[in-house]
Amino acid sequence: MFDLSVGTVGSVNIMTSENGGLSNDQIAEMLANKLIFISDDAPEPIRLQAEAFRDRVRNMAQYYIELARKEERASICSKVREAGQMELANAIGRL
Amino acid sequence: MAIAQAMCTAFKQELMLGTHNFATNGNSFKLALYAEGGGGKSSTTATLGAATTAYTTTGEVANSGSYTAGGGALTNVAPTTSSTTALTDFADISFTTATITAMGALIYNDTNSDKAVAVLDFSSNKTSTSGTFTIQFPTADASNAIIRIA
Repeated sequence: MFDLSVGTVGSVNIMTSENGGLSNDQIAEMLANKLIFISDDAPEPIRLQAEAFRDRVRNMAQYYIELARKEERASICSKVREAGQMELANAIGRL
Repeated sequence: MAIAQAMCTAFKQELMLGTHNFATNGNSFKLALYAEGGGGKSSTTATLGAATTAYTTTGEVANSGSYTAGGGALTNVAPTTSSTTALTDFADISFTTATITAMGALIYNDTNSDKAVAVLDFSSNKTSTSGTFTIQFPTADASNAIIRIA
């Protein structure tokens, strides 16, 4: 006899924002959550070490996400400036 | 509780009937958002749980930004196994420039008569205001994946 014991649905994580897109922090948090799962049942020393590693990954991700956004804005600014839209270029540059 | 997280019972039966295909080029699945209380566009409370059999507009959140009735299309990640557990996953989904308050969601099979797959309970109201509403699916492993059969 086959016993199909459990069908389970996992828990999702919801991220929301106001008046704009998700922040660098939120995206970095999402990445860290996806990369590193720490079981509640893990022995404390292992859990603490894993949490420290996850923090480091999150901080590193946050830095590079910020850099990627900044560089993309610089590229957009350059194209907008080439098109003669100086005010718009400056506004994007200030983001 | 009006919205209770569950793998729909009808879905379990339909798995045995071969109704659902989660392969990357298989059926199209969608995710619709629901409000509790008067937050839905129809001002009625969504009642979702194990007994849900198909997508319903009752209690679904109103159109806003990139969210339209029926919700968003999910991107299937091919089913796999880990030890004795079979699991499948979807890519994260976002609704942008949206003002949404949602308490839960329904994953359903858009290819096969909108048949229900699973109900997700967010535990509390989640709100975006002229912003992004993102649903991040859990790590696709034997302990956490969104849909698992052990």
